[in-house]
Amino acid sequence: MSEEIPAVDDPEHPERPGIEHKEATDSSNPLGVDRPNETAEDYTLTELLAVTAAHEIADHETAFIGVGMSLMSGVLAKYTHAPNCQLVTESGYIGSVPPGVVQSISDSVLGVDALVATDQCEIFTDNQRGAFDVGIIGAGQIDSRGNTNSTVVIGDQSYDRPKVRLPGSGGSNDIMTSCGRTVVMMRQKRRAFTTDVDYKTAPGHLEYPGHREELGFVGKGPCAVITDMAVFGFDDDGEMVLESTHPDVPVEDVRDEVQWELRVADEVTTTREPTRAEVAMLRTIDPADVVLRGTDYVYEVGFEEWSETVLEHWRQLQSIQDE
Amino acid sequence: MTLQNTGTDHRDGTDDEPNGREKITDLETAIADYVHDGSSVAFGGMGGRDPEAAAREIVRQKKTGLTVLDDARTTLLDIMVGAGCVDEYVGSWVGTSLISQGHNIRNAVENEIPHHLQMRDVSNFGSSLMFLAGAMDVPFVPTRSMLGTDIPEHNDALEIIDDPFGSGDKLTLVPAERPDVAIIHVQRCDPLGNAQIHGNVVNDHLKARAAEHTIITCEEIVSTDEIRKTPELTRIPFYTVDAVAEVPFGSHPWHCYGRYYADLPFYREYGLRSQNREDFLEWLEEWIIPHEDYLEKIGADRLETLERMEHEINAPAEVRS
Repeated sequence: MSEEIPAVDDPEHPERPGIEHKEATDSSNPLGVDRPNETAEDYTLTELLAVTAAHEIADHETAFIGVGMSLMSGVLAKYTHAPNCQLVTESGYIGSVPPGVVQSISDSVLGVDALVATDQCEIFTDNQRGAFDVGIIGAGQIDSRGNTNSTVVIGDQSYDRPKVRLPGSGGSNDIMTSCGRTVVMMRQKRRAFTTDVDYKTAPGHLEYPGHREELGFVGKGPCAVITDMAVFGFDDDGEMVLESTHPDVPVEDVRDEVQWELRVADEVTTTREPTRAEVAMLRTIDPADVVLRGTDYVYEVGFEEWSETVLEHWRQLQSIQDE
Repeated sequence: MTLQNTGTDHRDGTDDEPNGREKITDLETAIADYVHDGSSVAFGGMGGRDPEAAAREIVRQKKTGLTVLDDARTTLLDIMVGAGCVDEYVGSWVGTSLISQGHNIRNAVENEIPHHLQMRDVSNFGSSLMFLAGAMDVPFVPTRSMLGTDIPEHNDALEIIDDPFGSGDKLTLVPAERPDVAIIHVQRCDPLGNAQIHGNVVNDHLKARAAEHTIITCEEIVSTDEIRKTPELTRIPFYTVDAVAEVPFGSHPWHCYGRYYADLPFYREYGLRSQNREDFLEWLEEWIIPHEDYLEKIGADRLETLERMEHEINAPAEVRS
């Protein structure tokens, strides 16, 4: 696989890449799937989300990713339409080529064939300077300007004794502050798409247009929100705009799951469906459906069978990488 | 205020022995000597190379009132919180990875079981910088992170200022943290405390420097001559270290890069058994035991399999190609 190092200090961040069906090339169809560009006959909603997020990463970009769906999308991009993108993780790896699902942010597989193994302070120093083009984060709540909460659901209680304690910022605050642009992945629920987040963990377009610039942020903030129902962009005011709904999801259903008066694009499209090549690759990356279907049967099978399964998957992915 | 330079990097006057001495001890003694009720502790690693054995030893010695100063933390914090060792957490992220929740942490914050856990949030860069400031021995380090959000609203230690040099930019000041003790697990260390890290470093080099005292637990104690062959791997130098304990499989059930893969079935079982208080207390009874007994209970075959997995997955690149 050819590895080109993209320029890291390019001040001009490209616009969001398109997600049109393109001619498959050898690098975008490493599994040699028959009729790779055709829409997959069967795919799950989670697979649609992973593919949609993957297309937010363009070839030659540097992408800041975490565990779970974010990483699945990054790995998928690398093995399909963006073979020259570079993945960065906050634990200290740059240029990882992880052969499939990772279980944690310091999973050994992130270090295998990485370009750099360093420390967290250095990764976030580079992030703050604007070295990374795109970040993908998750959140528990979001408002119309893309400000997110991943710290506490307070309800009628307090920060100290909240209704639900969420994991916390992790890198999401730093990524939203300084990454070129940021993609947020969320569940579409009325209680999560709220007029006022309980706690502002990561800065979206803050309170008003120009607010980010006033604070001196190098990052442009959230550019897209991808949910299990739709894809949203942001207009020049920094307000969320419905751009596309997933197949068979009416616009009204999306409106019902948003607390504010939702802005809707003049022409709402249908989210592009995954291709045969993309779905095949996703299932190769996550053969045990740990992320794709949230299952953990692979751990129920007993230690010996689990270890053999993990190694089998590894060998399969290695043979693809080696080609 | 001018501090007398004692030739050690301790400010509390507890240790005036020269840094260049040998520091080998065992895990039980290291924890007993340096972790006290009410101590502030920073742990190394991050979902990989975590000092899990040291944390279990802290639980076994029934330490209480601890403050954990941290970046992101998984199982070891959840176990310590459930066992009642921790009163406060300062850091960026608590939880686990893909296959279970941090049930004890949530139970302590939301329901005060076994007692309330006070949270003080920072961002991930914020956590790096609080250790950097501590390592530099300056009161704070500035950053653009956390501006415009509620993180400083609920963390009184953070301050927002206008750039005193007049750029017009606002900056978040992250105050220095100097943990009483940092506990870092590494692959190799010599008797002097030169600790070598393979793979990612996370914030371990900063935690060791920021802390008053540092305990290194390692897979393998090697000679100082062996360290000299690959000095580029030494991320924690001897003069920051107070104790060195050889603790093989000291990160189990997490990964130790280049040594063994994560024992995810064990980890999943913890996730299931920590959902319920009674089950968790049984888990503690079963697994909070001296590390040698713990390894025996896991079983040599299983440990060998984890080593074999890591060696196949993480063979040096030149061997694979």
